[in-house]
Amino acid sequence: MESIEDIMRMDKEKLAAPVKTVEDKWKLLPAFLKVKGLVKQHIDSFNYFINVEIKKIMRANEKITSDADPNFYLKYLNIYVGMPDVEEGFNITKPISPHETADMIHSLAVVLMPIMLRSSNCVLTNKSPAEMAKLNECPMDPGGYFITRGAEKVILIQEQLSKNRMIVDQDSKGSIECSVTSSTHERKSKTYVIVKHSKYYLKHNIFSENIPVAIAFKAMGIECDQEIVQLIGSEEEVMACVAPCLEECYRAQVFTQAQALRWIGGKIRQRNQWPSANKCKLDEARDVLNTVILAHVPVEDWNFKLKAVYLALMIRRVILTQGDKVSIDDRDYYGNKRLELAGQLLSLLFEDLFKKFNSELKKIADQTIPKPRAAQFDILKHMRQDQITNGLVFAISSGNWTIKRFKMERAGVTQVLSRLSYISAIGMMTRVTSQFEKTRKVSGPRSLQPSQWGLLCPSDTPEGEACGLVKNLALMTHITTDMNEAPLIRLAFNLGVEDIELLSGEELTSKYVYTVFLNGNILGVIRDYKRLVKTFRMMRRAGYISEFVSIFPNHGHRCVYIASDGGRVCRPYIIVNNQQPLVKSKHIEELTQGFRSFEDFLKEGLVEYLDVNEENDCMVSLYEREITADTTHLEIEPFTILGVCAGLIPYPHHNQSPRNTYQCAMGKQAMGTIAYNQRNRIDTLMYLLAYPQAPLVKSKVIELISFDKLPAGQNATVAVMSYSGYDIEDALVINKASLDRGFGRCLVYRKHAVTMKRYTNQTFDKVMGPLIDSTTNKPPWKHQLLDVDGICMPGERVENRQVLVNKHMPVVSNPVAGAPVNLQSVNYKETPLTYRGAMSGYCEQVLITSNPDEAFLIKILMRQTRRPEIGDKFSSRHGQKGVCGLIIPQEDMPFTDLGICPDIIMNPHGFPSRMTVGKLIELLGGKAGVLEGKFHYGTAFGGDKVADLSQVLVDHGFNYLGKDYVTSGITGEACEAYIYFGPVYYQKLKHMVLDKMHARAKGPRAVLTRQPTEGRSRDGGLRLGEMERDCLIGYGASMLLLERLMISSDAFQVDVCSSCGLLGYSGWCQYCKSSKSVSTLKMPYACKLLFQELQSMNIVPRLSLQKYNEV
Amino acid sequence: MDQGKDGANPTKSQIMIYICGECHQENEIKARDPIRCRECGYRIMYKKRTKRSILLQFVFLLYLLCLL
Repeated sequence: MESIEDIMRMDKEKLAAPVKTVEDKWKLLPAFLKVKGLVKQHIDSFNYFINVEIKKIMRANEKITSDADPNFYLKYLNIYVGMPDVEEGFNITKPISPHETADMIHSLAVVLMPIMLRSSNCVLTNKSPAEMAKLNECPMDPGGYFITRGAEKVILIQEQLSKNRMIVDQDSKGSIECSVTSSTHERKSKTYVIVKHSKYYLKHNIFSENIPVAIAFKAMGIECDQEIVQLIGSEEEVMACVAPCLEECYRAQVFTQAQALRWIGGKIRQRNQWPSANKCKLDEARDVLNTVILAHVPVEDWNFKLKAVYLALMIRRVILTQGDKVSIDDRDYYGNKRLELAGQLLSLLFEDLFKKFNSELKKIADQTIPKPRAAQFDILKHMRQDQITNGLVFAISSGNWTIKRFKMERAGVTQVLSRLSYISAIGMMTRVTSQFEKTRKVSGPRSLQPSQWGLLCPSDTPEGEACGLVKNLALMTHITTDMNEAPLIRLAFNLGVEDIELLSGEELTSKYVYTVFLNGNILGVIRDYKRLVKTFRMMRRAGYISEFVSIFPNHGHRCVYIASDGGRVCRPYIIVNNQQPLVKSKHIEELTQGFRSFEDFLKEGLVEYLDVNEENDCMVSLYEREITADTTHLEIEPFTILGVCAGLIPYPHHNQSPRNTYQCAMGKQAMGTIAYNQRNRIDTLMYLLAYPQAPLVKSKVIELISFDKLPAGQNATVAVMSYSGYDIEDALVINKASLDRGFGRCLVYRKHAVTMKRYTNQTFDKVMGPLIDSTTNKPPWKHQLLDVDGICMPGERVENRQVLVNKHMPVVSNPVAGAPVNLQSVNYKETPLTYRGAMSGYCEQVLITSNPDEAFLIKILMRQTRRPEIGDKFSSRHGQKGVCGLIIPQEDMPFTDLGICPDIIMNPHGFPSRMTVGKLIELLGGKAGVLEGKFHYGTAFGGDKVADLSQVLVDHGFNYLGKDYVTSGITGEACEAYIYFGPVYYQKLKHMVLDKMHARAKGPRAVLTRQPTEGRSRDGGLRLGEMERDCLIGYGASMLLLERLMISSDAFQVDVCSSCGLLGYSGWCQYCKSSKSVSTLKMPYACKLLFQELQSMNIVPRLSLQKYNEV
Repeated sequence: MDQGKDGANPTKSQIMIYICGECHQENEIKARDPIRCRECGYRIMYKKRTKRSILLQFVFLLYLLCLL
């Protein structure tokens, strides 16, 4: 410490200098991403499932007994998930390490569990990049997905309203109700407290009518009216509300618990599958109250106290809300949401399948034990080990999550991992989908909630239907997994929480206490809630309880909520104490030197996680300079509010917000690099850029997710000017020489697959060698590429309609299934795989393998190299997309005084209405970077300043506004204006003309209607639709209409009998049995078809004919 | 159909060489043989590159063009 004298002696300037701020505190972010965040939540959740949850599930269902033999039982002792292991006969169709595992029970594999990539049991975990390269795996690959049946599947994060919490809301008529969705391992149920005629009722699906709350209380053993009132609250206004309920109870003549139970028993909806016949109404009602109503509140030894208190609190909430003491809860508030991850979803599914598996074993035991038999009954022989596996694999590969005990059926839970670009793959891992129906026209769930700040990306959401329902996690978001409650309960009681069992109603609702909740269950009451909250947080910072436990008071509810459940979203903050952030520069220094990790920051209590609810009890300042006396936390870095996709945008804080949203959607379509092992992959469709470049203007996020190592785009020199008129409506004019140099050149890989099947009648598909012409001894042109094995050779150029695989299928004359056929006599039909495409391609790779069911599988990877052409789509990183409008030779391009020609000319009209100032700054940054030979930063809410960039330009003899003197390439005259000129990172999007161009003169027709087919893939016609037809009718172009709608479509000659008006044929009317008055005319085939279809339905359409010259 | 007869069954006698995806060993596999590496048992095979010179075709084309 410096003495007073020392300080006095110090110069004034040093004293007045501002307190040193923590430099580079953003470096916490990469440290964080090493341990948590992005895809880690998927992996953490799955790890939790296979290491912890699966054991719990097993323990809950460990014993199988048999009704047939009371001495028989099967008990599972332990369950664990082993390491991936390739079994003999199992085949992996991708160059990926083994991924199927076995659970051992009694050293007996019961399940082959699909394993999430990079999870604790995956082969790829803790491998160095070199080791990964050896395995042909990309070290950049995020993992977190599954591979089932040869497809990469992601289990999307599902957003739900939190379970086991009271939600006070208004129903459609505006009356207040309180609802709780209880969820336990056994069942899920929703209980309501509603108001009707100013009386309170308990509502549940199992009851045929609403139960007056007073009767419910009496059924729970609270028979005394005074007790009921005390439980709900003895304030004047509360009592007034409760009184009518008590009266109703009296009118129903219910006074005792037995009467109440009997009364409730009469209202239970009878369900067929429940064998309730042997139970009396009273027992049944008690059972329902115990297990169905508020199922998550524990009842021990039929002591309903806890449940009664919970019900009373629900009523109290409704009463207080009615009296406007408390406002209704917001369903869209993110603290009321839980995110369900792969682990939770899989554990639900696994438990369901495991229960089914056990019940089937029991059934087998019940059936087989009574039978007399020689050998002893061995249940292990009856374990079907593929049952659970198939269930899991089916669910993951189809996305249909069916859980019987919850009556849950959800489709589209999994999606195929999009591998269009590296960004699209990572973007998919952070995606959150909500359970709301897309058709509903409410804006609430779609709009950006303030409580989503920092947890969900404000920019990254799709446009249109799913707008706002599909969200993306921000960079620092972490999703919690379940935690053990027992130590928390003990800690709470030690800190002065009074057990609910020991208190009467009066003490519970007293105004001097706060009620304490743990995960939605009432724990007790606390007098000094401040001390509880403070000590709890202290314990958490000290590491005595898990860092993901949150505690916060709600003053409106007079409650303290402790949450340790899974699915809460949270993120880390720097703790501020006495207006000083605890993280100091020296800590960051140690972090950069590698002496510290993010865990150490947590352990030392410098940083802590806050979930949405606890956030509301804190004062977080965005910057260090804004810290006041009330501040409790400091943001680590403002740009972490953005997600992965928005993080790629340079200077996003200078753009109009929807532009950033557009870019988030387009970044996923940009071509570039996919992974380091992209050349080993055989994907159905893969777009790669021939010469990808790292962006000149980077952001910190780009470095963090190593987008600069797997880039998708090129730095194009852009001149913002008008040129040639082919640049209107966002079209771009591209320099031909740039294209020659490889700008925007891309590789398109497409997979073609053929399977050689075996049929039941012993025949099988064949691949034959090429046909050889007997005269020239050469194969025909079609078969030129084929090798002697009948498959095309890698490296060959393939033209349209050439054969890739010369496959032949047996033609079976006798259709008796399973009957063996004489193999010599089988005729084969040609079913070749031919190449179709407007452009020739090259055969890159041919892979031959066999399926699990012994069928040969041939995969052919075709490659095309495409240079940009007119109509190809490009985009900068600011939601500014445009197609190539014109390609002009470099000689005609404008050039600067240094002789620089632009790669792209962009029309300046793209700027004023879009307000993408970020793009203008990116250009400055890029230009300055090129001149200096370094990368500049355009990080959100930061980045290099325009003034600094301008200074760099000036230092290198350029205009400080980024404008250049430009000479016209056509006339050689100087341009009248200085042109904004510099490099901007441009992405080539996957939409290319070559894949979309379509025209047809003659072509295939549909069989039924004889009209031209529909769609490009079927070489279809171009439709003249209703609206176009309307135009022609309005204009009066009848002959044109006739031509378009009949002659060019489905004209057909019919014979019509003018006497009966029916259709005849070849000049003969079958109805009149004459050919006297049959005339031939033309009509659309669809029209003739309609008449015949009507006839088949007993409706006679008759045509009356008139000579056109006799009208 | 006489053409078809000519080229129908060279597969019977023909032996093809494929490369194992795991150990890069060259494997001789006859038609209808199980696809399996003799060295490591791996079941993914790749075809060898064509022996026809693609470059020569181009040179020939260019030559033709020059003549024209």
